[in-house]
Parts: sequence; structure tokens; C-alpha cells
Amino acid sequence: MDSLKIIRILVLVSVALTLLMPAVSAHRVYVQERITEVEVKAWFGGGDPMANADVIIYTIKNGVEELYIEDTTDSDGVYYFTPKIGVSEYRVVVSESGHKNEKTFSLTGDAVSEPEEAELPLATRIGAGFGYILGIAGIALYLSSRKSKSE
Amino acid sequence: MHISDGVLSFSVIVAGWAIALALNAVILWSCKCKHNMAEEIPKISIMTGAFFVASLVHVSIGPTSVHLLLNGLLGVVLGIMAFPAMLVGLTLQSFLFQHGGITTIGINNVMMGVPALLAYATFRFGYRKGINPSLLGALCGSLGIFLSGILLALMLISTGEEFREIAYVVIMAHVPVMFIEGVITGSVVTFLLKVRPELLPLDKGDMR
Repeated sequence: MDSLKIIRILVLVSVALTLLMPAVSAHRVYVQERITEVEVKAWFGGGDPMANADVIIYTIKNGVEELYIEDTTDSDGVYYFTPKIGVSEYRVVVSESGHKNEKTFSLTGDAVSEPEEAELPLATRIGAGFGYILGIAGIALYLSSRKSKSE
Repeated sequence: MHISDGVLSFSVIVAGWAIALALNAVILWSCKCKHNMAEEIPKISIMTGAFFVASLVHVSIGPTSVHLLLNGLLGVVLGIMAFPAMLVGLTLQSFLFQHGGITTIGINNVMMGVPALLAYATFRFGYRKGINPSLLGALCGSLGIFLSGILLALMLISTGEEFREIAYVVIMAHVPVMFIEGVITGSVVTFLLKVRPELLPLDKGDMR
């Protein structure tokens, strides 16, 4: 009779313990992100893509640059590359028929690259250019009028 | 057609600046001695403005993108003053549009300005010989682009043999631009000769 009671209590306790057990076991978990693809896009001022342009990608590790990939962009001026494991900084140089530009960036999103230039709208820049030309013309006119006065 | 920073070797860039500054100095000095520039300045400013914005007109050809240059037109309309006008235009383009590098303003000035001077010489020579001015203008407009393309190709090849292929592509890509600018320059010359022939840089002796 006693032993049956003990067994009942044991069963009850084990059920209770099973129910109370936390859902997650206590194994240590590692999570590591990895960016598998980086898209590089190059275009000319005015919006035309730099198709079939040469792309040279350098890895930068502890400030040391190393050539990583040499290839060309597709017809939309886009190039995809897989980053090297353990390297998050890259310098990409895109060049085509003497047109060339480059960008240094970091996959971790740290501010490695130079800050984006606040670019004025095109119309403003055209206006600025004409303003300069007008100013230079004015200076030239002033100088020539002074010269003709002194003569 | 503008050359960006970091493409050419250092010696080519220095040579470009030296030639550009020397030519500009000589031209400005000779113009100062010659005659009253006050009448010329508005015309020069307008053409500089046209040159400045012309590079925004893009023509997409196959893999590359080319734009108008108008150097032949500047040569025909401004004469030798096209060279300093381009220096101003190129400086503004490189700072405001990021067309071409800042260190390469000198070499770009030579690359576009020398063909402009040659276009001017051709125009004057042809005009004296009595060639149809419209046709002559069109020819000079195309000549400016053609010579610039050749100069660009030579500079690229002088920097490295690996640019040889690019140099050929550049010349081929500018063939349509040559046609477009030929039409533009021919029309402008025809128009100016009808309306204000004194605006063209031709001496009294050249006039028929």
C-alpha cells in the first residue's frame, strides 16, 4: 500500500517537473551573419549605365590593400561579387574608356567611406556655372573698359 | 571625352598643364595687344556657356556614353580665344558636373583646345580659298571632334599599352558625335554669315 503511494507521488512529481522544464535547452548558440553578395553599380553623370566597364576590387585588411577581383560590369553597369570571409572593407574601382571612379566601403556599415557629397540639383549647378561665366565676363569687361579709359 | 583624375601618368598631366598655361598666356597676351576686347567678351561668354552645358547632352552608343564637345564650333566662332574660353568651361565642368578631373583640366584643355585652334585655322584657310562656308563649317566642327579623339587615343596609349583597345573604341564612339557637331557648326556658320558676319573671327581681308 505504502509503495503504491510512493510510486504515485513520484509519477506526479516527474510529470510536474516535465511540465515545468523550460522550453529551451541550455546549449550555447552561435549566430554569425554573412553577406554573400555585394552589388556594385556604376553609371555616368546623366544616368547612362557604365556597361562592360572594368571593375577592380581590392580587399582592405588592417589598412593593407590586396587585389581581389578583376572583372567587367554587365550591360546595366552592375557587378556582383562575393565578399571574402573575414574581410569587410573593400575598395572598388570602375573604369571605362578613360572615365574612372572609385569607392571605399565597409560591409559592417561603419563610416569608412567618405561622406556622401550633398549634390546640388542639376539645374542649380547649370545656373551656378552660368553665374560664374557672367562674373568672369563682367571682370573682363571692367578690365577692358579701364584700359580703354586710361588710353 | 574628358579625362578623369588618376588615369594618366604624372608626366603627361604636368606636360598638359604646362602646354595649356603657356598657350593661354600667349593667346591672352596677343589679344590684349591686338584690339579692343570689350566687343568680343559677350560673344566669348555666350560660347563658353554653350561649351559648359554641351557636355550634358549625352549620346549613348553601344557600351559607352559620349557627349557633345562643341570644340570645333568654339574654334570657328571664337578663333584663338576658344582656348582660354575652354579653360573656363572645363574648370566649371569639373567642379560642378564632375566631368573630368581637377588635376586633368590642363591636359583636357590641350586635348580640346588645340583641335579648336586647328579648326579655326582650317576655317580661315578654306574661307579664303572660297569653299562653301556651310560645308566648311560642318567640316571644321567634325574636325574638332576627330582631332580630339586622336589626341585622347594618343594620350591613353602613351600612358599604357593596355589602353590601346580602349583608344580605338573611343575613336569609333565619337564618329556619330562628329556628324552631329558637323551639322551644328555648319548651321551656326550659315546663320551667322547671313545675320551677323562680323561675329565670325575673320579679318576684313578675308571677307568676300
